[in-house]
Amino acid sequence: MAFIECRNLTRTYTKGSTTITPLDDLDLDIEEGSFTALMGPSGSGKTTLLNLVAGIDTPTSGSLVIGGVDIGRLSRAKLARWRGENIGYIFQLYNLVPVLTAYENVELPLLLHNLTRGERHKKVAAALELSGIADRHDHFPRQLSGGQEQRVAIARAIVTNPKIIVADEPTGDLDRNSAAEILSLLRRINVELGGTLLMVTHDPKTTQYAGRTLHLDKGKLLEKAPVAEAGSVALHELRPGGAACPE
Amino acid sequence: MSGMKFVPLVLKTVIRNRRRSLLTLGGVATAMLLFYAVQAMQQGVRDATGKTGDDTKLVVYRLDRYCPFTSNLPQDYASRIARVPGVKNVVPVKVVVSNCRTSLDVVTFRGVPPESFDRGAFSHVNIVDGSIEDWKRRSDAALLGERVAYRRGLKVGDRIDISGITILVAGILTSPEPQDQNSAYVHLDFLQRAGENQVGIVTQFDVTVTDPSLLQATAAAIDGEFRTDREPTATWSEKSFVARAASDVLEIVNFAGWLGWGCLFGVFALVFNAIVLSVQDRVRDHAIMQTLGYTNRLIATLIIAESTILSVAGGMIGIAAGVAVTSWGRFSLSVEGLSINIYAGLGTIALGLGLAAMTGILAGLVPARQASRRDIAACFRAV
Repeated sequence: MAFIECRNLTRTYTKGSTTITPLDDLDLDIEEGSFTALMGPSGSGKTTLLNLVAGIDTPTSGSLVIGGVDIGRLSRAKLARWRGENIGYIFQLYNLVPVLTAYENVELPLLLHNLTRGERHKKVAAALELSGIADRHDHFPRQLSGGQEQRVAIARAIVTNPKIIVADEPTGDLDRNSAAEILSLLRRINVELGGTLLMVTHDPKTTQYAGRTLHLDKGKLLEKAPVAEAGSVALHELRPGGAACPE
Repeated sequence: MSGMKFVPLVLKTVIRNRRRSLLTLGGVATAMLLFYAVQAMQQGVRDATGKTGDDTKLVVYRLDRYCPFTSNLPQDYASRIARVPGVKNVVPVKVVVSNCRTSLDVVTFRGVPPESFDRGAFSHVNIVDGSIEDWKRRSDAALLGERVAYRRGLKVGDRIDISGITILVAGILTSPEPQDQNSAYVHLDFLQRAGENQVGIVTQFDVTVTDPSLLQATAAAIDGEFRTDREPTATWSEKSFVARAASDVLEIVNFAGWLGWGCLFGVFALVFNAIVLSVQDRVRDHAIMQTLGYTNRLIATLIIAESTILSVAGGMIGIAAGVAVTSWGRFSLSVEGLSINIYAGLGTIALGLGLAAMTGILAGLVPARQASRRDIAACFRAV
């Protein structure tokens, strides 16, 4: 049984008298610990699939089972809690909270967990360190470059040690060098943390970092690339019960 | 999940949206200052006119007269009043005011016989500076109520001319009675001679009865005693007398009460507007937080907490300013020589803060409900 199982997954939106179907009867399996890239033209359903997997949208029909949980059947409150425990989301436009510093942005999802301030501090410090942005922990988003903001966003996505990290065109707003650094970081996170990484991208070059590339068009899957082996080196700092990180 | 760990998050949101927060706080503080001022006036009215079961004071006035200049009664009525059953003591009082108009700084001269202080009529007052003996020794001496002394910056030994009456301050007194706090007690014959010679004429008699339950019966008996005299009397309980004399002002104060509630509505509208705009500005932020796992209820709670903090903080600033202004100014609204102190106690402060908190909660409810019901994906598509 795959970690993520989509069966007849359909999502439709109604705008006035028009019905749009960005995902149409999709069947897809994604293995745990894999790094999957989703490609396709605009409107092909990539982001919709990402949002469904991330639990911020719900299917119109079909089933979406992740880790044995049919998330389409969860209530809003349960789905929110499920997201907090299982999902790390990386946005194209970073989406940091502007009135919070880098540190506070990364700490934000940890407030939902039963952790002491000290425990939160250790996890935030470790995530910022892994993302290579620890030296900017007290900067506000407006004081950071695009690449730095994205590193903070990545730190926020991994700080809870989620089972799945979804990234919606994480390099879409970055220059080539920054994009390469971010993709290398994502690859490293996938390998070291062992989580499942699902990334939407428009850039074919970025797919070389992924173990598998899927192509979507008009809400349907066009082809499947073979699953590559993904390493799983533990990063004990971010794992539950892991050793303390330097403060 | 402990809610306290989210308090810093809410405070950061308030503090770091500095301009919006300061504008909101300024508006709320101004409105709450006005609300407090109105409440302080109403409290003063209640203190000056509110009857209690322990009231023992009567005021004997000239029938059908409504101001101290026209109420002229023979001073020798005092001995006849003293013989009425139920009367404990009688003080003939000549009243002269520094200003006939309604004002926040009127000095009411009350001319009383010096021996009144020995007969227990002023047992409720406390001399905090100077002495009654000094006051008795000089015919032009005055005992000032603390509010008058504070407003005019007067101390024992000062000589001052107020409306053509020159007095020497011999003492400062405190009293629970609003009328004492705004009066200058002088010798009766001194005041009777101060303007046109009115020796033997007084404005009123202050009567103390032996038992609160005898108040109405004694008043009726006194009026009955003088019904057929050339100068018939009208006797009131002191609180009723103030309420009657200040009825025009009371209407204004009661109307101001509506303004006070209007101020509170202003606070609601201001905080509501600020939070609605803030929530609209932060559609994306709330969507991010929901993506991170924040439940709808938690988002709504954070928004309500923010509006409550803004409202309570603004309320505290406004009420603190109100307390400072009323304490510093010690204003009294005076009419016909009677005073209504503008002062509110802890109860009014607690009421103001409670209402500010309630207003903040109510103002946050609708925006919180709207924000918590938004679809996350739709929010990201919209911004």
